[in-house]
Amino acid sequence: MNATNATNVLRTVRLGFFYMVLNLKTIYRQPAALFFVVAFPIMFLVIFSSLLTFEIGIPEEAGANVPAIKFSQYFVAGIMGVAIFGTSFNLLGTSLAIQQFDGTLKQLAATPLPKASFFIGLVGTALTYTVLQLVIMLILGVAAYGIELPDAHGWLTLIWIVLLGVPAGCVLGIAITKIIPSANAAPAIIQAPFLFLQFISGVFFTLASVPTWLQWVAGVFPLRWVAQGLRSVFLPDVYKFAEPGMNWQLELAAIVLAVWIVAGLGLSVLTFKWDRSG
Amino acid sequence: MPPAISISGVTKRYGSIVAVDGVDLEIEAGQVYALLGPNGAGKTTLVEILEGYRDRDAGEVSVLGFDPQRQRGELNRRVGIVLQHSTPMEGLTPREMLNFTARLYDHPMDTDEVLELVGLTEHADRRGSKLSGGQKRRLDLATSVIGNPDLIFLDEPTTGFDATARRQAWEVVRGLTERGATVILTTHYLDEAEHLAQQIGLIKDGRIIFEGDITALRREMETDTRISWQPPSGFDPADLPDEWKEVSIGADGRLSLPTQTPTVHLARLIEWSRNRGMEEIPELQVERPDLEEMYLELVDDSEALETADQS
Repeated sequence: MNATNATNVLRTVRLGFFYMVLNLKTIYRQPAALFFVVAFPIMFLVIFSSLLTFEIGIPEEAGANVPAIKFSQYFVAGIMGVAIFGTSFNLLGTSLAIQQFDGTLKQLAATPLPKASFFIGLVGTALTYTVLQLVIMLILGVAAYGIELPDAHGWLTLIWIVLLGVPAGCVLGIAITKIIPSANAAPAIIQAPFLFLQFISGVFFTLASVPTWLQWVAGVFPLRWVAQGLRSVFLPDVYKFAEPGMNWQLELAAIVLAVWIVAGLGLSVLTFKWDRSG
Repeated sequence: MPPAISISGVTKRYGSIVAVDGVDLEIEAGQVYALLGPNGAGKTTLVEILEGYRDRDAGEVSVLGFDPQRQRGELNRRVGIVLQHSTPMEGLTPREMLNFTARLYDHPMDTDEVLELVGLTEHADRRGSKLSGGQKRRLDLATSVIGNPDLIFLDEPTTGFDATARRQAWEVVRGLTERGATVILTTHYLDEAEHLAQQIGLIKDGRIIFEGDITALRREMETDTRISWQPPSGFDPADLPDEWKEVSIGADGRLSLPTQTPTVHLARLIEWSRNRGMEEIPELQVERPDLEEMYLELVDDSEALETADQS
């Protein structure tokens, strides 16, 4: 019995991998997706870091001798959050919705591809493109804009933020397909909350500048926690005094993201519609 | 050998519309079975219940021994499905799509062999967006057989094809069936069913109204010759003899009598007319409709008429 289970798990993962490879190819050959989702955050990093070269700091009351940092050092954390959500929530949600309506998923549902493999493939696709984006951003950032790389502890945080943030964004992308009425409506319906969340989640503006009630709204969704986690990676530790609760809140971030993945993925997978073409 | 498909009392309702109305079917393994009927007759709904896409409201279903509603995962390993609409796969080539699909099955066929079978060898490495409609359809066929299925569903595989493309597609389907798989074909083309199927189930308004091979269907439909004529003005239908209950009156007032014994009835008609002082029966016609016409009459559907125009 155990041997059969192990074989099944292996098969599920293996088929998920094959589906991921297929997906990576499909997206790679879509210039629009590649440009707007994968290249956009990188372009943002380049433009903002080139234009805004001033330094920023936090109020003295946080402590003495707070070091000022380059704008790019602050910005890279936020734009990486956007990249993580762009490939998971935005790209995945849009392409899933389109595939629900054009019959692609209906055909896929006729094959023995296990549901679990399908979702493994989707998350794997988002994860791959995210890692690709982040690597490019880091190389560019260090080479051209003087961004300082994190320490060992920061790297670890970066890794788990990506490993939890991408699946959480995927869950949100799968969930939003439920309210999309047609393939044409998909990009617009997904862009709206994506932009809204970017503005209230401390990506471009500090969380402290967002009204408290909107902070609460942002706190429900994963992006706020991903962005905060990324700031803990790229900003000097003393900058945590500018955060809500004067803390990076990493434990809370891990819990919120994990809840999204476990509860959200379970729910979305159970209620996922393969076919809305008819 | 147990039947490939065995269903009884299968019913599906959408609100007040009964799409499939208590259908019983037994389909032998290894044969090509055509579900023939006009659009909206319930073909696709019925087939999608068998495929596992839709849940039935009532009835028993066994496909290769599985209940598609509860055991779809197991069933999918042994079934190939060609849907009514081609799958868009703009960025991928036929070879990539087939290689991927093959990996999902336990004992897949060789990709090159399948490409050859459907005649896509030359286009194997061309992007999906560059394939013609007919080539995409052949890729659909290829995708459905690459897993070496015991049962293949083909939902209107040639709709929208011109005559040449249809003949080519039929050749491909014949090639598939020679492999010994059971094939369930839905179509609204009578000639398609005639060319491909050993058994035909005629479906109309969600019910199977005829089952048998093409010869039986021909016999069933060809039984009636039609005698028709224009009655004199002031004609009263009550004036017709009781044995002519089946006479129908056309929009132009023309009377039409379907019969298996035209000579007998023609003699009666002459006598009946003479009794009413008519030596010459106006616009008298005795005709034997061809199969296509009979089919169209049977299904009596504007969609089917459209179809006949195309072929």
